[in-house]
Amino acid sequence: MNATIVKNNGTRPTAVLPDAAGDRCSRIPEPHPELTASAAVAHNAVAIKLENSMIAVTMSEGPSTETGMTAGKPLKVSVAQVLIYELRVRDAMTRPPVTAGPGDSLRTIQHLMKTHRISGVPILQNGVPVGLVSIEDIINALDQGHVNDPAERWMTRNIVALRDHFSLVRAVAEFDRHGFGRFPVLNSSGVLVGVITRGDITACLMQQLEKRAEEAAAREAALFSGQTSDLEQTKSVVVQTEVKSGDYDNAGKISQRMRQILRARGVDPDIQRRAAIIAYEAEMNIIIHSIGGDLSVAISPGKVVIEAVDRGPGIENVDLAMQEGWSTAGPLARELGFGAGMGLPNIKKCSDQFEIHSEMSVGTRLHSEVLLSQAAPPPKPEEPI
Amino acid sequence: MKSEKTRKLSSVLAVIKAEPLTNRAEADLTGCYISDLLSDVLAHASHGMLWITIHTHRNVISCATTKDIGAVLFVCGRKPDPGVVAEADAEGIVLLSTKMAAYEAAGKLWEAGLR
Repeated sequence: MNATIVKNNGTRPTAVLPDAAGDRCSRIPEPHPELTASAAVAHNAVAIKLENSMIAVTMSEGPSTETGMTAGKPLKVSVAQVLIYELRVRDAMTRPPVTAGPGDSLRTIQHLMKTHRISGVPILQNGVPVGLVSIEDIINALDQGHVNDPAERWMTRNIVALRDHFSLVRAVAEFDRHGFGRFPVLNSSGVLVGVITRGDITACLMQQLEKRAEEAAAREAALFSGQTSDLEQTKSVVVQTEVKSGDYDNAGKISQRMRQILRARGVDPDIQRRAAIIAYEAEMNIIIHSIGGDLSVAISPGKVVIEAVDRGPGIENVDLAMQEGWSTAGPLARELGFGAGMGLPNIKKCSDQFEIHSEMSVGTRLHSEVLLSQAAPPPKPEEPI
Repeated sequence: MKSEKTRKLSSVLAVIKAEPLTNRAEADLTGCYISDLLSDVLAHASHGMLWITIHTHRNVISCATTKDIGAVLFVCGRKPDPGVVAEADAEGIVLLSTKMAAYEAAGKLWEAGLR
């Protein structure tokens, strides 16, 4: 972007943006899951979406309106939107800042820029920032053959600084408002602690998103591929996941993971299959019939406890639902092969202990236990009669 | 229903003119079950069976894994998406496809001795 630097040879003090209310973008509230679109649109210079560990980043040059959001309505907040509220200027800034004195020549500063690959250098006098020399200042001076002049003759004096505790969303708004390429950053005592550019913000967000994606992938891997410690006989393991309504494409992963653990622990294959059927049917029930819920599988040395809890709408007649062949599944579920009306009867048949409670508009809680025993030793050859 | 006797899948492949979709195309079959209702398969099929169905959604793989089904035969020329085949490969489940309908395929398999 093209920053407009206004030359000012006066001695205006450095303007540090205030914390106080009244400022258009001051005091961003703490991250809140129900950010309204208007707030997000105002700061939407960086719009990032994180979905299924895939990262797409778009960085617009100015205030963006291509958000697809309607002002005023609550919206789903992406990971990146939360990040730009959570992360602070101090997290993204370059530090320590590369600085120069008012007496240093522009040529010296140009070398500093080249060495450190930066485009602006704050000028300090007795530790206090008095100006900033940007690459534009140097080009202007070069143009007129003054590259050996001291910095103080060409530096921008009316600089605007950010506080290190400002959120990144505020920093983005300040870049939009002022059109500068960089801001010096001061800490709460007014000491220069860093310099921040738009590039720093993008890099920081990318890094954080990558970190979060890696963490998510690691969690998934730990859940599904098997930490060896989970396979130890004596350890109790709890595998839990949120189950979304209508998510037919992801069904069965918990039951798969459970099978892995039970197999590794040498549990009898018939018992493994019974537990797997319960977990799979219980998960499918949440997917087909509820508005969403949670499935948990707790494996201890003696038994597997499977709990499926959904948030509604509830089963109107549990006795009827327990009857084989009774189903309220919709056409999509039926098209995919569900809705045989055998889910709950199957779960009951496979359980050593089974309980189900349902309350309309509250939800259904299903509790099932399967007792574990180790695989039977190979059958003895039959005695000849 | 459950017998210790198994049949090699390869020995009955020809009679149903089936095309293997997975890398693996061999299994020891304990019998056969036909159903298009997943819960019905979970309730009544036994492990090691050949499962005949028209469903090609990935839930078939989840269901087959849960029940340790040996192989799945898609009838009427149906074939699942490559992603489903990859998942079956990862789970060690054989997938096959035939142009025959379920009734005809089942009849041929019965005649061939898969009982």
